[in-house]
Amino acid sequence: MGEILIGVALIALGAVIYFQSNDFPALNEVHLDAGSFPKLIAGLLILLSLMLIIKQGLVLMKSKSAGERQGAGERARDFYKEYKLVILTLLVFFVYIFLMQFIGFVVSTIAFIIFTGLLVGSRAKKDIMVITIVSVAITLGTYFFFENFLNVRFPSGIFF
Amino acid sequence: MMDLFILGIAEIFQWRILLIILVGVVVGILAGLIPGFTVAMAIVLTLPLTFGMDPVSGVAAMIGVFVGGMSGGLITAALLGIPGTPSSIATTFDAYPMAQKGEPGKALSIGIWASFLSSIISFLLLVSIAPQISRFALMMGPWEMFSLIVVSLTIIASVTGDSLIKGLIAGLFGILIATVGADPISGISRFSFDLQTLRAGIPFLVVLIGMFAISRLLVSLERKELDKDDAKRAEEKLKDVRFVLRPIHTMLTVLKKPGTLLGSSAIGAIIGAIPGAGGSIANIVAYDQAKKWSKNPEKFGTGCEEGVIASEAGNNSTVGGDLIPTVALGIPGSAVTAVLLSALMVHGITPGPLLIVNEPNIVGGIFFAFLVASFWMLITQFLGMRYFMKVTQVPVQVLVPVILVLCVIGTFVLNNRFTDLYILIVMGFIGYLFTKYNFSLAPAIIGVILGPIAEVNLRRAVMADPEWTLFLTRPISLTFLILAVLSIVFTAWQNYRTNYRLKKNIS
Repeated sequence: MGEILIGVALIALGAVIYFQSNDFPALNEVHLDAGSFPKLIAGLLILLSLMLIIKQGLVLMKSKSAGERQGAGERARDFYKEYKLVILTLLVFFVYIFLMQFIGFVVSTIAFIIFTGLLVGSRAKKDIMVITIVSVAITLGTYFFFENFLNVRFPSGIFF
Repeated sequence: MMDLFILGIAEIFQWRILLIILVGVVVGILAGLIPGFTVAMAIVLTLPLTFGMDPVSGVAAMIGVFVGGMSGGLITAALLGIPGTPSSIATTFDAYPMAQKGEPGKALSIGIWASFLSSIISFLLLVSIAPQISRFALMMGPWEMFSLIVVSLTIIASVTGDSLIKGLIAGLFGILIATVGADPISGISRFSFDLQTLRAGIPFLVVLIGMFAISRLLVSLERKELDKDDAKRAEEKLKDVRFVLRPIHTMLTVLKKPGTLLGSSAIGAIIGAIPGAGGSIANIVAYDQAKKWSKNPEKFGTGCEEGVIASEAGNNSTVGGDLIPTVALGIPGSAVTAVLLSALMVHGITPGPLLIVNEPNIVGGIFFAFLVASFWMLITQFLGMRYFMKVTQVPVQVLVPVILVLCVIGTFVLNNRFTDLYILIVMGFIGYLFTKYNFSLAPAIIGVILGPIAEVNLRRAVMADPEWTLFLTRPISLTFLILAVLSIVFTAWQNYRTNYRLKKNIS
């Protein structure tokens, strides 16, 4: 099922790329302009995605008649249990990146490591200690290394 | 040829660079032995640290990580029976039983020697073959370059992942990612959809960090994986492994099986040189072949010496093989060498057939960094084994956030552009979806790096002569295209045959 959705998404992407490619300003190239190569690739992508969808569709039709069916609610619960951490981590990661420009690299990074560490693993006292020490050491270590040796300016925000 | 060696030796044999390679090897070994932390991830995260160095030291550091990483998986494979990296899956077949039988020291040191000796063999193959190939490649025009990329991508798509269609889709998707941003010939901005973020294009390294590091971390956060990890740790605590490494004795053991060593190294080097196929495939194929050729194949899987030698020789010799197309043609054989090439590009050096002619010191440096890294690997593995083992204890809850932060730093340092971080998270998610649905990531990554080169060569070819049949009438170009078609047809036929057999067995 997932493959079919990916296939549909890829076809949509291919179509967008294909039609956008027509609008590039043409210079005095006679044969291949800026849009030709992406058009070729997008065309191939659409073709292959169609093949994938048909192939998976056949597989799905065969298995549907044979396989037993689970209730939708049960399936959703299993899905959530299995992927809970993946989804939460992605969300936290996004928030971390978003907040970095406002509160600065150092503060947001320390907070992110501690928060994700506690989200993923145990919340025993000893583990909280370990993750806090690690987060401060890693953040300050990389911060000073990059600022001083490679002259990288990290987002500073309101605190630093 | 000689001047390449002299330049290489002069570049590498300086205290500073020798030290850098040593650090690289240690980092690589650590990355290799932590399950869930792959060599590709380690090398991607090393890259930003090398921006401040000159090109040769940067490349030397990364080769150190590469060589160390290939041998690091051995430790977890032998002692715990779980592969530290995908490249040491076959190592668990014999090294683990051998350790269980009370000879963990023997299993480890045989593995180390096999890794070292096979690296040396693949080094010899690399220095003798790469310059010849690049001399040949200098005769190729844009037609041949385009066809070469076509064949590389079809081969990658057919050797990786579980289906040819998915492999090709991944490759095309990679090429499309690379078309975002300025057109390589006329500079017209393409597919930026009026987003400031996309105007400068999607940097290759951001795609790489997202797809290889972030997506891998997300996989390790799934409930199933976490449970597996917990079970493994509980088991691990029961064990208090004690062992003696006997370097000289085991070296003789390995040298007494020259057939297995040479055969597996050759297999590893050849597989390494094929674009897209790397240590994980070579490890298994070398083991399988050694079993077929062995006089007593029934001993394989019970902890026999040949099994350990074959599997470890197979994965370490891919390093040399992998570097052959990278150095000679500018076509990376794996994600790791793709990073190596992009590191060169960061320093303004264009990889390709001209690399040996224009930058002999870098090519010589790559050769000798590989040699030196092999020696460092041997020494640090024997001396540091006891300490390396402790690292497998780092818990997931520390590993995941720390590596995510390192990914963010790596991405940010690359261009000092904040918006790249959003691209990073999107790429990580796409990479995760790809792995979930068995689209292999290697073709996508190689597509990103080869796409622009393919486009430039295609357009140059047509500009030079609008006659498109030249792709089919120039003999080298035609050979490449025929190979591309054959690789697709062959894989399709093979899939059909295995499916047919499966059906037959069922009914």
